[in-house]
Amino acid sequence: MDTATISDRLREGIISGDSVEVVAAVNAALEHGMTPLEVIQGGLQSGMTEVGERFSRYEVYLPEMMMAADAFEQAMKVLDPKLAAAGEEREKLGRVVLGAVQGDIHNLGKNIVATMLKVRGFEVFDLGVDVPASVFVDKAQELGANVIGLSALMTTTMPQQKTVIEHLKARGVRGKYFVMIGGGCTNADWAKEIGADAYGQSAGDAVTLALDAVKKQVS
Amino acid sequence: MLSFLKVVERAATGPVCSEHDFDLGILVPNIRKVVKKYDIKYDAGNPVPDDDGLADRVWAAGLELATETGVWCRTTERRILFTREEIQGALAFGPRGVVFGAGLDAKAMPRRKPEDSTPPWCSVGAGGGPVSTEANVLSLVKAYAENHLGDSITTPSLTNVDGQLVTAGSPFEIEGAIRTMVLSREALRRAGRADMPIVNAVATAVSAAGHIAGHRYGIRKGDALEIGTTAELKVDFDSLNKIALSLSEGSLVYAENGVILGGLAGGPAGTAVVTAAYNPIDILVLRGAVQHPFPTHFDLGTTSTRDTIWARAVANQAVSRNSLLPVVNIGYTCAGPTTKMVLYEFAAWVIACVVSGGSFEVGGSAHGTAIDHTSPIEPLFASEVAHAVVGMGRKEANRIVTGLLAKYEKNLADPPLGKRYQDCFDVASGTPSKEFLALYREVKGEMSSEFGLRLPNAGPYC
Repeated sequence: MDTATISDRLREGIISGDSVEVVAAVNAALEHGMTPLEVIQGGLQSGMTEVGERFSRYEVYLPEMMMAADAFEQAMKVLDPKLAAAGEEREKLGRVVLGAVQGDIHNLGKNIVATMLKVRGFEVFDLGVDVPASVFVDKAQELGANVIGLSALMTTTMPQQKTVIEHLKARGVRGKYFVMIGGGCTNADWAKEIGADAYGQSAGDAVTLALDAVKKQVS
Repeated sequence: MLSFLKVVERAATGPVCSEHDFDLGILVPNIRKVVKKYDIKYDAGNPVPDDDGLADRVWAAGLELATETGVWCRTTERRILFTREEIQGALAFGPRGVVFGAGLDAKAMPRRKPEDSTPPWCSVGAGGGPVSTEANVLSLVKAYAENHLGDSITTPSLTNVDGQLVTAGSPFEIEGAIRTMVLSREALRRAGRADMPIVNAVATAVSAAGHIAGHRYGIRKGDALEIGTTAELKVDFDSLNKIALSLSEGSLVYAENGVILGGLAGGPAGTAVVTAAYNPIDILVLRGAVQHPFPTHFDLGTTSTRDTIWARAVANQAVSRNSLLPVVNIGYTCAGPTTKMVLYEFAAWVIACVVSGGSFEVGGSAHGTAIDHTSPIEPLFASEVAHAVVGMGRKEANRIVTGLLAKYEKNLADPPLGKRYQDCFDVASGTPSKEFLALYREVKGEMSSEFGLRLPNAGPYC
């Protein structure tokens, strides 16, 4: 079996969201002599990119993305210790802390954004739903996040996006994070009004915004 | 039928299950299994299918899904499970012929079947769409009620109280809920329809506490609360608390199920099956007097896409052929008031529902999220379209809906938001601008000339 064949197997395993197959393919790749970075950059990342593109074209939906992300995480449980042992690190685009703000229990849009960010290569810390403002700030500080994502579906929970920004300001850390907002009732005007850095209308927008933000932070 | 408190007991004692395991380990595999087993396939060329065999397979798939999956409770992180016999019992003994409203505006909710000659229930209003001023709430609700095809009112949500934003879980939410209720009742009195039922009785309220406040300030027994699952086959104690309150107060429940097309249900086939699966769940868990579905596109945030229309039509046919619990479909549009597109969108999904055995409720225009982007013209037009297609065959409806989709489908990703209520209506008198009235009449003319529909004149603007 050659490297190209193994990479194809890794890629197809990710696309089909088959964790068992992906872990088996990872072990086969390592036995074949591929380095952990080659495994990631070859089949795994290619599979994740393909799933993201298919989702953007409405060819697959959230379950396929979640299963691909799960399979990727299972693969990384095998690869991360080997990377550490070799003194290497996989490329991480940035860290995102996100959640639905306090009072809002709608998680689907937020889950799609979280999964698309993972698929694209971000480290994502999903705080879930009904998240108090201080928890966003505490977690972003603890993890050294690059981006904070705030989801609100309802007009009655939009004000909590503003509250999170006020907490960031009160603790003197507003400038450390790129704050993006989203959710059915929000828009660019609201983002500007509350002092957020950006508004994402779709999950694809959120990924683009996060990518731009980390590029600017690096430069 | 299983009692509500027995359902709550199961939420507290059922099998422990994490949300991740429920989603990817149980729900998604079960949906995929039944979609394949019952051979349910999306047909983009026929947004309103007329295949009774498909409808019955979707129903069978839905029942199997409900039985094997149950409902996940977010508060307890447990599954609420039902046997096949309990589900059959709910379907056999669930509510029917329920009367909404009182006095001159009392009316029994019709149970309809595909191509039924019984007029649909028309729930008119804003579906909780956000409105910025109390004057707008008063004016809008009064004008909605002046549409005499309207059987019930669905009020807007007030976004602020004395200039303070209404925030979920805060005292502003309680005050906003009370004001919306009081203003809506007063608006109905001014319209001469004081006893017309309000079916999203506490639109401004999110929490159970807000609903309790609404009950204290004007919700009546013939009104309904819209109480929904929090996501695909998921509830929490706050939702169940609202139901406990409604059962004790004797008010009714519109059981909401907003299945997201592209979410955990997957594509159109899975969305149709999950919507059908909700029917017995709506009786058992949400104690609904009607099923109130709104399959919504995950990216475009509307119910007017081709695939959501197909899923809705098939699910309505599945449910209305096999269950006694009536279906009142709520829906949204991408475009907003004063655009032709908003009327095309409403016409398309409303026609699909009515010929498939359902009734309808007009939700907000402009995704139901753009502040003040709602007007009485949209529900009036939707009611007139709905009555024009009563008794129509599904083949003919499919032709019309296909024609309507051709008019707006390409603009769904970048729709015109139109104008705010105060910019296209005289708020004091509740009358539309000359331009808006002309556009409404022009589109009514198109319905006649292009599709052969004879729309009644139900509004006060003739």
